[in-house]
Amino acid sequence: MRRVISVLLLVFTVFLAFSAPYNTTIKVLAWDDALTQALKEGIPDFEKQTGIKVVLELIPSGNLLQKIGVSVSTDKSDYDLVTVDEPYVPALAHLFTPFNNWSTGKVYKKPNLSVFAPNAFDAAQWMGTFVGMPVNANVYIWITRKDLINDPKNKQDFKSKYGYNLGVPKTFKELRDMAEFFSTKGIYGFAPFTKQAEGTTAEAIFMFEGFGTRPLEIVNNRVVVALDDKKAVEAINFYKELLKFSPVGALDMGHSERIAAFNQGKVFTMFQWPALVPQHEDPNSSLVAGKITYSAPPVGSAGASAIRGCWVLGMPNASKNKDAAAEFAYWWASLETGTKLVPKGFTPARSDILLNPTMNKDRPWFKAIFDSMKGSIARPRFPQYAETSQIIRDNWLAAISGKVTPESAVKKMKDDLNDLLKKLGY
Amino acid sequence: MKRNYNFKHWIFILPALVLVISILVYPIFYSIYMSAYDWNLFHSDAKKFLGFENYLSLFKDREFLHSLWLQLGFIVIALPIETILGFFVAILLNRDGKFYDVVRALLLLPVFVLPVISGLTWRMLLQPEYGMMSFILEKLGFGVKAWLAEPNFAYSMVIIQDIWRMWPFMFMFIYAGLSGMPREYIEAAQIDGAGFWKKITKIVIPYLRPTIATALLLRLIDALRIFSEVYVMTGGGPGNSTLLLSLYINKQAFEFFNIGYAAAMGVILLIVALVIAFFIVRGNIQFEGEKG
Repeated sequence: MRRVISVLLLVFTVFLAFSAPYNTTIKVLAWDDALTQALKEGIPDFEKQTGIKVVLELIPSGNLLQKIGVSVSTDKSDYDLVTVDEPYVPALAHLFTPFNNWSTGKVYKKPNLSVFAPNAFDAAQWMGTFVGMPVNANVYIWITRKDLINDPKNKQDFKSKYGYNLGVPKTFKELRDMAEFFSTKGIYGFAPFTKQAEGTTAEAIFMFEGFGTRPLEIVNNRVVVALDDKKAVEAINFYKELLKFSPVGALDMGHSERIAAFNQGKVFTMFQWPALVPQHEDPNSSLVAGKITYSAPPVGSAGASAIRGCWVLGMPNASKNKDAAAEFAYWWASLETGTKLVPKGFTPARSDILLNPTMNKDRPWFKAIFDSMKGSIARPRFPQYAETSQIIRDNWLAAISGKVTPESAVKKMKDDLNDLLKKLGY
Repeated sequence: MKRNYNFKHWIFILPALVLVISILVYPIFYSIYMSAYDWNLFHSDAKKFLGFENYLSLFKDREFLHSLWLQLGFIVIALPIETILGFFVAILLNRDGKFYDVVRALLLLPVFVLPVISGLTWRMLLQPEYGMMSFILEKLGFGVKAWLAEPNFAYSMVIIQDIWRMWPFMFMFIYAGLSGMPREYIEAAQIDGAGFWKKITKIVIPYLRPTIATALLLRLIDALRIFSEVYVMTGGGPGNSTLLLSLYINKQAFEFFNIGYAAAMGVILLIVALVIAFFIVRGNIQFEGEKG
């Protein structure tokens, strides 16, 4: 009897082993937030379908690059997939297998580029090659207090003062007017981002692009400083104008200060990253939950310019489990996974989910993400992005805080960028 | 008596020796090794030997000199204030009684606060709209200010935060030294007619000098490593007004990934620490020698 049971067990094990398309383990490194926590919840399903065991390691986004730096090299990798924030894709591109070389999935279909939100795949591009796959549509969206713009008294007062209708600011001029208008009503018109952090660089680029200029450009495969003095000064002066209608301590505002000010009902309008929107819509911590309308950012004189920062899934060249890793990436990008995990906090990269009316009922910012993605722009695409960002940030902050004139800040920004390019041999 | 060190002694010393070499000596030498390379963390396979070039570049790097200056300024301002505060409070509380026991214990609390928590707390206290400290300062007539948004104030606030957190450390050391001082010294001085300052300068300070030197040395080592509280409080800003050397090293290593260059800065920081420590220790040895 014992022998029979043993044989049956063996047969059963062999059957299980061969019934799943794979029998392997992959290691995935990702940033830690609501999206990846939601992803974690879906993994048991994926493992059941494919036979691939997934070890998902989540670490704070600020430490992710360091971790990649010590874990992934050209000939060795501790991970089969790693997530990278868009500005750092050029720095890591040489370590990743191009998306075109990823295998076609056995269980999940390799997604067509057209299913992704507009411009999302640009996040994974470096020097004409897609070196990974975008996994979320992360972009500036604009949040505005709809209760304030629907208030009849506000509507009337605004119209009589400015001669046009109060609403979601669609242009920089409207943004300025509305910010000024609400500041006379005891509400801060705008909440800037001014901390010594990446968000400040994003604000600077957003403004520069709105006025039709950018710090760096790639011309004939060469990186050159492209900032136009006049337009850059205009952008700085405009932001300084907005600061007049911003909260006390406007020159020391990061995510937490902006979220707190907005949730206390003190701010009329500002940009936000999609991952942080649920904090505004949580009635337990926000006085403005349900009172917000979402849109693409207002447009400057030069056109739309929502800052993009999609997370990209890269497959290290040194991964030993590329097929299984690709399978996991395709599962992540699939319609089924997105549909299932959105209620748990997942932000998709796919247009069909972002535009799904049912999804938008509970998450009205999804449509705004899609709209913003249409006019989205990247921060400077450059392997030494962090140093570029630091130069832009330092000089931008010096100018908007009045430490130096906008003209001299722009000049110094250009000089510093040129020095950096020279130092790096460009 | 001449000690006879043989093989057996080394067997017993070996585990400790291996430990010290692996966690202390090896990292130092590895840092020195790294500092000789143009080494980007993402291009480790393409590192280039530079010799002393990183060190030469450092002294042309305005940001490095600025952050070194800020770091030294921080030490020169914060440590003496912490020492003076700790010294006089120790004198004041060097008394017997339950009340004094309780006060002494309570005064030590800030030392036990994690630096990162201290930084966050001060950040919130100084928040212009809902911070308690901002509220008090406003009531005192300083107006509504974003204290951490103005370069000079931000630097001052970083120092004040450190003084708040670490003066009890100095107090603890000095009080321990003071409580071991024979009462006869003071009594004899009193009989000779010495006033308060005379007793402090001629008896208490000379007696406590080795204790103060040790405490200063430990504080110095700690102050050179200051990082997390400043990181969460200001992130080095506004501008670069609180970008102390440790923060700049972190920026070069883990934001720009120039680990060779960052290692060179780490070596400079080590040298600065050794030089200052040398003077403190030498001063103390000389003093002990003079004392006989």
